[in-house]
Amino acid sequence: MKKLSRNAVLAERILPALSIVVFFVAWQLLVDLRNIPPIYLPSPLAIMHALISMVEDGSLFYNLAATMLRIMVGFLLAAIVGIVVGIVMGVSRIFERIADPWIAALYPLPKISLIPLLIIWLGTGEAYKIVISAVTAFFPIVMSTYAGVRQVDRGLVKAAEDLGANRRQTQLSVVLPAAIPTIFAGLQLGMGVTIILVVAAEMIGGSSQGGMGNLLIQAGQVLETEKVFAALITLTLMGAVIMKGQQWLDRKLTPWANLR
Amino acid sequence: MNITVEDVRQVWEGRDGSNLVALDGFTHTFKSGRFSCILGPSGCGKSTIAQIVGGLETPTSGKVTIEGANKAGSASVMVWQSQNLFPWRTVIDNVAFGLEMAGVQKAERADKARVLINSVGLTGFERHYPSQLSGGMRQRVALARALIMDRPILLMDEPFGALDAQTKIVMQEELMRIFDETKKTVIFVTHSIDEAILLGDEVIVMTARPGRIKEVLAVDLPRPRSVEMISTPKFGALFDRAFHLIRDEVTKAMQEQNVAAGAAS
Repeated sequence: MKKLSRNAVLAERILPALSIVVFFVAWQLLVDLRNIPPIYLPSPLAIMHALISMVEDGSLFYNLAATMLRIMVGFLLAAIVGIVVGIVMGVSRIFERIADPWIAALYPLPKISLIPLLIIWLGTGEAYKIVISAVTAFFPIVMSTYAGVRQVDRGLVKAAEDLGANRRQTQLSVVLPAAIPTIFAGLQLGMGVTIILVVAAEMIGGSSQGGMGNLLIQAGQVLETEKVFAALITLTLMGAVIMKGQQWLDRKLTPWANLR
Repeated sequence: MNITVEDVRQVWEGRDGSNLVALDGFTHTFKSGRFSCILGPSGCGKSTIAQIVGGLETPTSGKVTIEGANKAGSASVMVWQSQNLFPWRTVIDNVAFGLEMAGVQKAERADKARVLINSVGLTGFERHYPSQLSGGMRQRVALARALIMDRPILLMDEPFGALDAQTKIVMQEELMRIFDETKKTVIFVTHSIDEAILLGDEVIVMTARPGRIKEVLAVDLPRPRSVEMISTPKFGALFDRAFHLIRDEVTKAMQEQNVAAGAAS
């Protein structure tokens, strides 16, 4: 019984890592044995060389830093405005009535279709990249916040009032903390779309501003496929680090929500 | 602090416009310092009467007067069946909630909360979250959170309804001890005949919907009480009396449900 469970643990730890190794070895063998031109599919080793040279000449960090900065600014903007608007919608009936048709109409619009308009208004500089990502992330955040505030257990509100809390105290000490897990879920969705929109926005615009999306487009246009893959791997890792970091922060800030 | 309830009627309006009379013509005086149990089949409005006395619901008609209290709810505090503890607050912060809202300094409210936590036997669990506690422990936290308010009236809405039989007995004995020590006026809502007789100075037996008072039984068992009293002849006689009253009502309620189900199908 004990041996079985140890084997199970071992399998759970090792098999995921093993699957990645097998995948890359198979890829390398496929490229080597079938002589696939590197323009179509470079080998993992060639991609690694490209990655290393990009680290050495500093282009990787420069572009990664530019993208990260835009993500953070766009996300923070969306988070602040989204949470505030969501809370006000949740507690004020009038504001809810006013905001509801706007959100219902604008939420299903694919925000990426606003890119041409934003370029006309803002050019292809930083403002447009941040605005498009913030506008996109705003919607999941505002809707989760609103839902979180509205779905607060009526029993908790009644209990707080019974214990002498006034309206403002009830909202600050009960409604808001009760909504936090739902707000965090919205923030995670918001972060996901922020990453997508920043990289997409970087693909359109001047090369002088850099960013991972710009790096991808530049490398793709001159058929430097190794660089394209290197940039994709970097983006994958960046996304994973951001999402895991957010989940970690979530657990730290809401310890009560993760006990069972 | 006598609580006078006069001709209280509560009607719930359904979304389809239908009216449901939950409570009708409820008149009773809850005497100061007494333990009153409200006993009845489910849906008889017994929780509603506790909420009305606590100022948490406004009756459709009728009047509640609490001697010496200027505002409904300011003299009473509720202990809920679902506890309604704040899941993001630790035990000590849950217990201190009322004091925090009243602007009591952190050190002072922590001291007071510790005393209450100790008196319900939860010392050592101050930093736990409610989800880390068992049902019985959570109900103790809820009790401490209510007692810290030091209000003369304690309203209890089926507080032990969701607990297992053993935990329930322990909690009942603890409540009896606390009642003997603090001499509060208690209104205790329950559907358990045993519990109502064991705890109460009087048992108000309710009819099935619409809830009216069917009979008020005086329970003249001596205090302090203990669970052993359940096997005494006096307790047995009271139980029989209450059981017969309740059985009629439960049968009536079930028949009504059957008729309603028959009409619907």
